[in-house]
Amino acid sequence: MEELEKEAEEMMRIRLSQILINEEYKAGRFKVPVHLALGHEAIAVALNWVLEDNDRLILSHRNMAYNLARLGKLRPILDEYLLKLTGLSGGKLGSMNLINPARGIIYSSSILGNNFPVAVGVAMADKISGRECVTFVLGGDGSTEEGSFYESLVMAKTLGVKLIFLVENNEWSLGTHILERRCQIDIQKMTGSVDIPYFKIKDNHVHKYFEILANVRESALRESNPICVEVMVKTLGDRKADDGHYINYHAGPTPSVDVTKHFPGGILRENEEDPIFVVSRELGKEKILEISRNVMKELKRELT
Amino acid sequence: MKYIEHLNNLIKTEVVKPEHAVLFGQNINAGSCLGGLTKGMAVKPGGRIINSTNSENSLVGFGFGLMLNGAQGVFFMKQMDFLLLGIDQLVNTYNIIRSAKHQPKEGSFTVVATVVDSGYEGPQSSLNNFADFCSVARIPGFAVTNRADADYIFSKHLFRSGFRVIGLSQRLGKTEIIDPGEPVKVFGDGTIFQYSKGEDATLVSFNFSFPQAQSLNEALKKAGINADHFNVNSAVATDWFPILERVSRTKKIIVVDDSKSVHISADSLLAELTGKPIEKKVVIKRKINENWLYPVSDVFEIDEKKVIEEIK
Repeated sequence: MEELEKEAEEMMRIRLSQILINEEYKAGRFKVPVHLALGHEAIAVALNWVLEDNDRLILSHRNMAYNLARLGKLRPILDEYLLKLTGLSGGKLGSMNLINPARGIIYSSSILGNNFPVAVGVAMADKISGRECVTFVLGGDGSTEEGSFYESLVMAKTLGVKLIFLVENNEWSLGTHILERRCQIDIQKMTGSVDIPYFKIKDNHVHKYFEILANVRESALRESNPICVEVMVKTLGDRKADDGHYINYHAGPTPSVDVTKHFPGGILRENEEDPIFVVSRELGKEKILEISRNVMKELKRELT
Repeated sequence: MKYIEHLNNLIKTEVVKPEHAVLFGQNINAGSCLGGLTKGMAVKPGGRIINSTNSENSLVGFGFGLMLNGAQGVFFMKQMDFLLLGIDQLVNTYNIIRSAKHQPKEGSFTVVATVVDSGYEGPQSSLNNFADFCSVARIPGFAVTNRADADYIFSKHLFRSGFRVIGLSQRLGKTEIIDPGEPVKVFGDGTIFQYSKGEDATLVSFNFSFPQAQSLNEALKKAGINADHFNVNSAVATDWFPILERVSRTKKIIVVDDSKSVHISADSLLAELTGKPIEKKVVIKRKINENWLYPVSDVFEIDEKKVIEEIK
């Protein structure tokens, strides 16, 4: 139970941090585009726990949950979005390209699919140096449409690098549902065509995610081979447009999330699409309320 | 010795030096598949030679990944127009890496590519301006035109930390390599080479027009005109001062540029000369005709007699 509380605390910190960032966004304080990742907390926390000191993490434009998880603080990230010298990268990178080399994040790309081949190169450098580590590269389901995804699968398999492709499938690309634009892409078949093992995870159970990612990491290390993990996520904060169909924010604030409405508790949706709701079922709502109040107190202290 | 043979010998000399060199590209080290380039290469045990997949965009990204993580990568590319597929990586990845507070210090990445300037590749031959690729993101780039610049550029830049592109000439590939002797001076780490000094005129060549400019310089000399000869090897970060300083003395300039693009490097120099007291200016550029999209000879010819008359 103690471990579950710790997981809940970490997820809550990422959730409330994003709710506070959303408030700043709504107030018009950012000049750079910022991509919220509400609902991505479970996979971010699980991956943060799995990463070893020498491991590398290559991120995409929607990197907020992972950067918050790896840093464990809000202030330097918020300052980075505000382009302040006190930001995590001295106000030089903003949001979409934010990195944290001290915590293994050595490249984040604002270009869809651009980071996959870079990750293959990073993993290859580790291979020739004989370093015992694994590289994780993050992409969304939209990025699997890019040729660079398949090219990188082929290269990674051919070169036998310890690289884990983590595909966050939120079924959205920009502001529309993926099926409004294209046919279904079967990532398992894509990876299977080049004999790369594939795993699919869903339901936002952070501990289950941790166990699967830890096993996948061990397997990549042992077999010196790439692996693909598709994780189903729901990017929360979508809303009904004037014409009646649901749209999601791509960048920009989400008007449907508000600190006065969603704190204390931090739950945005009462089903398995929300990792905070999932953990609240195990810990109880009172415990989640308590955790959210404690985390918010820490965040406020950090921000003052 | 042929141009391509000399370059290959230089490459073979350099690639055995680093501990973790990763040489990659389609069909490299497989004999004469790249016109003899990369034939017989060897690296230290900690390095790799990878006969790679056909995926230029991803291969450029792969090179940046190697560099980010401390390795030393070289991508040998058969034709520079293939690099069009890697423009996203050239611009965005390179800029993202450069903009970070903590940039990689040890790693390096170099693209060695052959500019399609023979003319016989048809539609692909229109893109013969090496500077176009460098300009898109102010990428350090070095055009190799003769023995002196080749020796300097490969030894200094092939594994230097950071990123650059080295451009070779398809047209010069099977010709004897030109040995201009020891340059008078090399400026800006190889961005400009000066091959002669004269008080009567200043001759400046761009892209892969060095052979024509050298021939013109000899003709000028025979006509009693002693000229400076500068060759501009890089299109970016060029400090024009050495050339401007000489033109302020000679008051006469001849520029030669064999590029086919609308915006060419010679124009940058000419813009710098605006308002300066110049007595004579001769600009020799490509004349684009109706055959420019078809497989035809791409040899760049200069009417030397006419130039001599104009500059006198």
